[in-house]
Amino acid sequence: MIADGVEDEEKWLAAGIAGLQQNAFYMHRALDSNNLRDALKYSAQMLSELRTSRLSPHKYYELYMRAFDELRKLEMFFKEETRRGCSIVDLYELVQHAGNILPRLYLLCTVGSVYIKSKEAPAKDVLKDLVEMCRGIQHPVRGLFLRSYLAQVSRDKLPDIGSEYEGDADTVVDAVEFVLQNFTEMNKLWVRMQHQGPAREKEKREKERSELRDLVGKNLHVLSQIEGIDLDMYKETVLPRVLEQVVNCKDEIAQYYLMDCIIQVFPDEYHLQTLDVLLGAFPQLQPTVDIKTVLSRLMERLSNYAASSADVLPEFLQVEAFSKLNNAIGKVIEAQPDMPILGVITLYSSLLTFTLHVHPDRLDYADQVLGACVKKLCGKEKLEDKKATKQIVALLSAPLDKYNDIVTALKLSNYPRVMEYLDSETNKVMATVIIQSIMKNKTRISTADRVEALFELIKGLIKDLDDAFHDEVDEDDFKEEQNSVARLIQLLHSDDPEEMFKIICTVRKHILGGGPKRLPFTVPPLVFSSLKLVRQLQGQEENPFGEEESTTPKKIFQVLNQTVETLSNIPAPELALQLFLQCAEAANDCDLEPVAYEFFTQAYILYEEEISDSRAQVTAIHLIIGTLQRMHVFGVENRDTLTHKATGYSAKLLKKPDQCRAVYACSHLFWVDDQDNVKDGERVLLCLKRALRIANAAQQMSNAARGSAGSVTLFVEILNKYLYFFEKGNPQITVAAIQSLIELITTEMHSDSSTPDPAADAFFASTLRYMEFQKQKGGAMGEKYEPIKV
Amino acid sequence: MASRRRMLLKVIILGDSGYVNRKFSNQYKATIGADFLTKEVQFDDRLFTLQIWDTAGQERFQSLGVAFYRGADCCVLVHDVNVMKSFDNLNNWREEFLIQASPSDPENFPFVVLGNKVDVDGGNSRVVSEKKAKAWCASKGNIPYFETSAKEGFNVDAAFECIARNALKNEPEEEM
Repeated sequence: MIADGVEDEEKWLAAGIAGLQQNAFYMHRALDSNNLRDALKYSAQMLSELRTSRLSPHKYYELYMRAFDELRKLEMFFKEETRRGCSIVDLYELVQHAGNILPRLYLLCTVGSVYIKSKEAPAKDVLKDLVEMCRGIQHPVRGLFLRSYLAQVSRDKLPDIGSEYEGDADTVVDAVEFVLQNFTEMNKLWVRMQHQGPAREKEKREKERSELRDLVGKNLHVLSQIEGIDLDMYKETVLPRVLEQVVNCKDEIAQYYLMDCIIQVFPDEYHLQTLDVLLGAFPQLQPTVDIKTVLSRLMERLSNYAASSADVLPEFLQVEAFSKLNNAIGKVIEAQPDMPILGVITLYSSLLTFTLHVHPDRLDYADQVLGACVKKLCGKEKLEDKKATKQIVALLSAPLDKYNDIVTALKLSNYPRVMEYLDSETNKVMATVIIQSIMKNKTRISTADRVEALFELIKGLIKDLDDAFHDEVDEDDFKEEQNSVARLIQLLHSDDPEEMFKIICTVRKHILGGGPKRLPFTVPPLVFSSLKLVRQLQGQEENPFGEEESTTPKKIFQVLNQTVETLSNIPAPELALQLFLQCAEAANDCDLEPVAYEFFTQAYILYEEEISDSRAQVTAIHLIIGTLQRMHVFGVENRDTLTHKATGYSAKLLKKPDQCRAVYACSHLFWVDDQDNVKDGERVLLCLKRALRIANAAQQMSNAARGSAGSVTLFVEILNKYLYFFEKGNPQITVAAIQSLIELITTEMHSDSSTPDPAADAFFASTLRYMEFQKQKGGAMGEKYEPIKV
Repeated sequence: MASRRRMLLKVIILGDSGYVNRKFSNQYKATIGADFLTKEVQFDDRLFTLQIWDTAGQERFQSLGVAFYRGADCCVLVHDVNVMKSFDNLNNWREEFLIQASPSDPENFPFVVLGNKVDVDGGNSRVVSEKKAKAWCASKGNIPYFETSAKEGFNVDAAFECIARNALKNEPEEEM
């Protein structure tokens, strides 16, 4: 049925165009032969096509535009006629003989336009006549198009200031009067459409009305272009008259559209200077009008205006724009009790943006807006409405964008209260926005109180909020958000150690509740932050005041111990082990032997009890050896215990090559360059010999299992260790031992069962080259190497 | 006497922002529908009447569509030399016009391009160079290009004369 309707309409339009073109053709002929009578006859017939009621506004507009273009030619003809001596007054009379009212009025407007141009009568009289005569058409669509024709042809002939049609001083008033009258009549026609025809066609009617709206709004645009309308006239006449029509028509569609038009077509300073009047209209509108959108657009306009130049700001203050807008919003919300929460938040969000632009120094205004928002939100459940939550994010982001500084936002007491109403998902989004703002602006957050407030705000990222039944959280998203928390923790800093310690404790308090998935992300940055503080303190001598409560490395280490321990419970033993070793090294630098020993003990326990994966064991043991080697705080006894354990672990690794490498690495535990008491050549040799035995065993196992010997790499690696300690002057490492190791490797390489391994060959070759080089270098080192035959 | 119709020329102005009504003030005022103005241009001892349709560039206020494109004798594409996007959109506007107005010979339909607001900030905020604009015009069949300042009136008359001459070149065939 509907498809048929559309098809029929096309047919009717085509027929209308055909009829129009046919008559236009005869009209052109009449124009070319200067035949006025025929010109009028055919133009009237042509215009009769516009009498149709069958076309939708869109299609009717197509027909109208063709007629419009043809009428321009007729208008030129009329102009020429008057030049040829035909009286314009006579013409004005003559066209009124057209038999049908619609063509008659189109012709009248066309002649009227020439009439005004001729200046034979004052423009205002002709305009007044025309706008009155148009009352003859009461069919909404036809009437609206006719009047829009009048508006168009008179557009550049209004008696405006500076225009050639300007008469006495009151002429602008005449122009305004004319446009206002046309506007009023058009709006009446437009509103009346709503109530004509059967109720079931309401939707179709509203669609048609929506298509026609710009014809009505056009009048407001024309008004905005009249130069002579100064602020006074706008305030005294134009705005009140337009608003009167808007309010009194009591039509939802018209009110929404026309309020928007007023806001968009008139200049900013006019709005500012008439805020009372303009805002006063809003509560009088129908309760179903979407006021939030219109009012938000007004505030958006004014915000942009305020942002455009600092020069305009005094204007805002002078008219007290903020309090007026704030009041108006309050009244509108009161007048529309059914306004959805989205509307309320949208309004406050626009107002907040406005005040941030206009009164950047008035934090209390911003807080007031947020407070008003909280008042509307309270008593409600957490928001489920996606659009509304999105709007809250926009609301809360506005102060961050403006100040580029969370510290300022933290001063807004209502800020966290608004966040309370977000669901946990949105809470996270907002928390991320906050962290990004801090990162981007490198904001310094340097007191524990602020950190406390900040973590309260971003708690959605710090722990599972109670209502969160975890839907599938995307693993990557989770990692990303936790990494951003980690970065944030690194950024928190105070130069004052006392304050910094408080910050650390505050962060710790918050993150410890984060659960097993978050701790591996959040504990490491906290540990490193704490160690940084330790190093800062360690540079200073004893606390000058010697106060008991003051922050000392010892105290920090206690906290650290407990913090890292939480990781072993998760369990994340490998991470915990690494952190314990870091702490041990820091304790070493602070000369705190018992503390360092305790950290090592913790690491060893983890190694023994929690780390069972052989790969993880290899990594862990090398970390242990490396760290232990650098420790200088230990006395003989403690050191013995720890090195003994480490060598023990090394020899018990699963794979022979791993064993071998760990064991030769242990040799370094007995020979430390800068520690004179750690130079035990014998035990170094023991380690290396043990490594050799293991390498041999590895070869044999390989032979047995695969039928070919493994690579000689391990032997070459051990040879390098021999050379290292040889150079360091370890008396246990002799020329003979090195010599026999070289021979061993050469033999292995040439044995039938060996597998070719170019990498190992190259490694060996370059080792030999190195020795040759040392020999030739001469001096003490050259002498040392001299006896070795390569 | 076919000359009468030749004296009346329909010109459509398209672009991201309107053109004519920016004459007096830089302040933002929205246009509703297309702004309709007439302008008389004299050259070669003849008087031409241009009927100019300046569009809003704001879709919200185009509720009846663009039927007014039809029957145009010339289309003027305007961009703001200080806003790159307005230049980038010229192609869209040109194509949109050819689709909606469906002139009989789209290949040779007369366009004119105006680079507007050259006076703003003494030219310091300019981002679309004359060279770049001319290159685009050349690639679209040698569209004439003018740099104008509607506010200062700079080059506007020359542009309109060119617009009129171009419109004349392509006199539409007699309809029916």
